[in-house]
Amino acid sequence: MNDDYLWDGSGEPDPEVQKLETALGRYRHNQPAPAFDRVAELRPVKVRMRFFNLRFSFQLAAVAATVVIAATLFYFLRRPNPSLDSGQSWDVARLEGTPRIGWHSLGEKSGPGKLGIGQTLVTDSSSRASITLDETGSVEVDAGSRLRMVTNGPGRKRLSLERGTIHAVIWAPPGEFVVDTPSAVAVDLGCVYTLHVDDSGAGLLRTTMGWVGFKLNGQESFIPAGAICQTRPKIGPGTPYMEDAPASFRDALSRFDFGSTTPAERNALLGILLVDARKNDALTLWHLLSRVSDADRPGVYDRLASLAPPPAGVSREGILRLDRPMLDAWWSSFGFGDINLWRTYEGDWSQRPPNARD
Amino acid sequence: MERQAVTVWPVAESREDDSLVSAARDGDRAAFGRLYGRYARMVHGILLARVPPREVDDLVQEVFLLALRRLHALRDVSRFGAWLGTITRNRANDYFRKAIPVEEATEPVSENQAESRTTNHAAELEANVILALVRVLPEPHREPLILRLVEGMTGPEIAERTGLTHGSVRVNLYRGMQLLRGKLAETARSAS
Repeated sequence: MNDDYLWDGSGEPDPEVQKLETALGRYRHNQPAPAFDRVAELRPVKVRMRFFNLRFSFQLAAVAATVVIAATLFYFLRRPNPSLDSGQSWDVARLEGTPRIGWHSLGEKSGPGKLGIGQTLVTDSSSRASITLDETGSVEVDAGSRLRMVTNGPGRKRLSLERGTIHAVIWAPPGEFVVDTPSAVAVDLGCVYTLHVDDSGAGLLRTTMGWVGFKLNGQESFIPAGAICQTRPKIGPGTPYMEDAPASFRDALSRFDFGSTTPAERNALLGILLVDARKNDALTLWHLLSRVSDADRPGVYDRLASLAPPPAGVSREGILRLDRPMLDAWWSSFGFGDINLWRTYEGDWSQRPPNARD
Repeated sequence: MERQAVTVWPVAESREDDSLVSAARDGDRAAFGRLYGRYARMVHGILLARVPPREVDDLVQEVFLLALRRLHALRDVSRFGAWLGTITRNRANDYFRKAIPVEEATEPVSENQAESRTTNHAAELEANVILALVRVLPEPHREPLILRLVEGMTGPEIAERTGLTHGSVRVNLYRGMQLLRGKLAETARSAS
């Protein structure tokens, strides 16, 4: 690597840096300076009011208030249903078959469509579609899916996957794009992922790049690249695991999260998880810390600490009492992503998904 | 491959900046316009590291108007860059705190626009993905990388403009580049 070139553009050019400069150069600042000399004097001007002016101001205020009330009433009475008619639409392209947006079918000759707020994109067993919104990302919708647009304001894009599979490539800032499912909310933290929801409302999320936060009723799961997380209605997101985890580990985890087990069986399953865990499974053990009983937590801590020692400032006592900053610091030491992103943005999306099944 | 221009930072400029800040503080709008010319890329880069790209140009204007209003409160003219950087970061944070209006419908895309969009789609997609990767890097690395790779500023210029030390910018730039290389390799593996 040529450090001089990265530092000040001198020396032998580094081809990778040059390639990045070329690709990213499109975002470079190119706006001329505003006419600052024409910007009005910004210091507040003191106004001396006389009695006549004051009385006139009251009259003027009364008239203005009447006009505002009338205009507001007129606006609300005449305004079309915002859930259906306002907001920028996403471009929908047919990939295969005949996807539908409401009653409108996207055939081979009908050209691209638009998905507006409140509208649902439906693909049958032989159709697929993709939806794109500049500066947010693109989503491929597999056959047999129902995907509804919930909100689409700046900085807030919310879809609801009621059934089926989507593949999302998101380039919007972390926390800006979320997908509701019947059993959890998926919050994008800068990533590429696949989300599947079956007819019972159970879901499965697989992250290819970056990471995704999954949340329902205060239960959080973080799914970095190479990991999977399942969800179930009424339960929420399960414990994430790496795709290459052994079958015995995955099976034990699924039964631990979602099975109707006795305390003894649950202890046995936890034993399997701790014994079978590899270094790569630190992700799973970290999540288990806050999902096991106080009595079981020391065992999970010791196993996790042996696989991925906690960073400086993180103590056994702190973790056993579930000290959040310490848990966060330990997570951040894994290198999957900065948990501060989640802490910053998840509050915006903490509301329960409207399609959650109880 | 097209080589993007990087700027070279003349040391004398920093003294000149102090004079411009003093003049602007005394009401010289032309001097403030020249400061805009020198610092707009820094402000743009800091914003781009935090808010959606489509919002950045408007926010750059807002930040400078805000700075113009508050300039009388700046005591140490030599800290103008660091001060402006703080205003910019605060404005970016406010962007996420403010009430979010529903977007208005946009005009339909014309045929010419649609054609150009298709032609540039691959490059645009690549740029979007790279920018997204930079934006998930830890904050200390994100900002200098965007200032260097997007805005074409050199390391010394980033240090001078932002008020950071050369050593700190250098470390964050190199470490950020290493992290970015790792993420690009990871993306390439996922794609293959």
